[in-house]
Amino acid sequence: MTNTSTAPLLRIENLRAAYGKIEALKGVDLSIQPGEIVALIGANGAGKSTLMMSIFGKPRAKAGRIVFDGVDITTMPTHLIARMSIAQSPEGRRIFPRMSVAENLQMGADAGEGSDDERAATLERVLTLFPRLRERFGQRGGTLSGGEQQMLAIGRALMSRPRMLLLDEPSLGLAPLITRQIFDAIRTLNKQDGLTVLIVEQNANHALKLAHRGYVLVNGLITMSGSGAELLARPEVRAAYLEGGRKA
Amino acid sequence: MAKLAHAAAAPAAAATVGVGFILKKALISALVALVLFSLMIGVRTEAGPEGGLIYWTRFGDLAGMVGGVFVGSIVVELLRMWWGPVDTAKMMPAGARKTLGLAGRVVAPALLIFTVLVPVIFYNQRYILDLGILVLTYVMLGWGLNIVVGLAGLLDLGYVAFYAVGAYSYALLATNFGLSFWICLPLAGILAAFWGVILGFPVLRLRGDYLAIVTLAFGEIIRLVIINWQGLTGGPNGVSGIPRPTLFGIPLSPGPNGLAAHLGIPFSPTHRLVFLFYLILILALITNWATIRLRRLPIGRAWEALREDEVACRALGINTTTTKLTAFATGALFGGFAGAFFATRQGFISPESFTFQESALVLAIVVLGGMGSQLGVALAAVALIGGFELFRGLDQFRMLVFGMAMVLLMIWRPRGLIGHRAPTVYLQHKQAISSDLVKEGHG
Repeated sequence: MTNTSTAPLLRIENLRAAYGKIEALKGVDLSIQPGEIVALIGANGAGKSTLMMSIFGKPRAKAGRIVFDGVDITTMPTHLIARMSIAQSPEGRRIFPRMSVAENLQMGADAGEGSDDERAATLERVLTLFPRLRERFGQRGGTLSGGEQQMLAIGRALMSRPRMLLLDEPSLGLAPLITRQIFDAIRTLNKQDGLTVLIVEQNANHALKLAHRGYVLVNGLITMSGSGAELLARPEVRAAYLEGGRKA
Repeated sequence: MAKLAHAAAAPAAAATVGVGFILKKALISALVALVLFSLMIGVRTEAGPEGGLIYWTRFGDLAGMVGGVFVGSIVVELLRMWWGPVDTAKMMPAGARKTLGLAGRVVAPALLIFTVLVPVIFYNQRYILDLGILVLTYVMLGWGLNIVVGLAGLLDLGYVAFYAVGAYSYALLATNFGLSFWICLPLAGILAAFWGVILGFPVLRLRGDYLAIVTLAFGEIIRLVIINWQGLTGGPNGVSGIPRPTLFGIPLSPGPNGLAAHLGIPFSPTHRLVFLFYLILILALITNWATIRLRRLPIGRAWEALREDEVACRALGINTTTTKLTAFATGALFGGFAGAFFATRQGFISPESFTFQESALVLAIVVLGGMGSQLGVALAAVALIGGFELFRGLDQFRMLVFGMAMVLLMIWRPRGLIGHRAPTVYLQHKQAISSDLVKEGHG
């Protein structure tokens, strides 16, 4: 497979996914270039998280294709997808509460390959990015605050040294200040490490300001796409996702 | 209802929870007890002299029991109030905490040294040696099940099945093919592990209650197969004449070939007991050692992560299928070893030794000990099996005492005797982690 700079890192074609008879994705097309931050916004139940999860094969795509880095991963087992330098920080953080911060991070590193030195370097990178994790290194995950848990979830995903990071609602239930810290960290990762990011958000304002490009998902279909600034300026986006939520 | 007055006299400490709440709870408990006991205790039936069924009522006893439940419920609530919410850490002075921490570190080695010395100290007390062997067998079973339940979080109510597979593997291989204990021991373990995988496959998608029911059924299936497959297993009659273990080929028996004759000392049946004691001690320690090692490897970490969050595990690239199967297989392996030991110790096995009660007992040891805690499981095995013996004089009240002790323990320490999980820090981190920081997270 050719992997030139113009080839997308992740390409989704006509993706359909369903929970039983309820179709959550009705033919989604989306592509992400290496080094991009792409935001996926939409209302509750639009299928944002489903899209995120079906990239990892849960639920399995009923039709369509998902190609990551030139490899068709549509039918690949979940755990193998997760080893393809694509990492996910799932919705609701889902850290391991009874395990320490160190163990949580180690869990992220277990799947990835790489020498001990590389691993130590990645750890150092994560701990520099989120100094709070360094402070809480030996503490149990469950005793962290919500924001710290989100940092841990992202840090854990980063430990496998991914080229692409999927972030599902990183700002969920967090104070605005913490949200900003996390978004800053994502921006840093993108700028300094060249990490490609797909971020699902309800906080459309924040997400679109962060992202290079954005997609709007409505009832399982992409209805709009464009650069972050472009989407932010669109009156229908403002009306649907920003009115009332515009405090920041 | 004279009991109401009793309840109303409950101390004014009820301020935080409210008298109404306690009364309501006690009333509901009493009602449930009434429904349950009205037939179990209220009516007594027996075959009459002519073979017909005669019955009489025992409403006095029934009233006593229901009243007891009512008062007991109030007492439990008051106790709970006195203890405070169970999950808030009790503040302890630093000195006391330090002493406790030191004691905690000393307990395990002290226990081990004592165990090693038991055959020396109690050489002439056959009863204590026998009891020690029994306790150690359950310690080993507890440690084995701990891998499945404590680490991987898969509730297994049919663990006795693997114990049975191990026991029958050794018994049948030894009696039919004349294989020695030392050859059969690994075979028994491997066969049990194989059955662990067999059980694992159908339950891969199940969790919690559903998993528990299927594993329970699995345990029963194995037992029923053993009972009914008369040609192979001897059915309810069991297998007898199972050879005793040898010390690398030297039997521990009287006669010119025995160990005693080799050493030039007079033969004593106690030699065999001491040998069995050290044998099960070594087997149990191997189980413990393997568990501790596995916990530091990616597979052990994956087990614990699986217990915490299966979805997150998958997202991190863990193959949950193999992770679950290895947990079942590893747990079963040690169950099989213990089974082989049981067969060689008894010299006779029958399906009666592998009932659900055994599974429940081993599970109780794991839960009481604190899921995932090696020391806790060992202490719980000593307490439960030893306690069983201690209260033998109480006859049928033994179960009552046992049940009460368990309820109290679960109120007092809902996470088991040793509920805190020692984190194993793997990542090399330049900044040394002070022990305070590591300890902070427990509770």
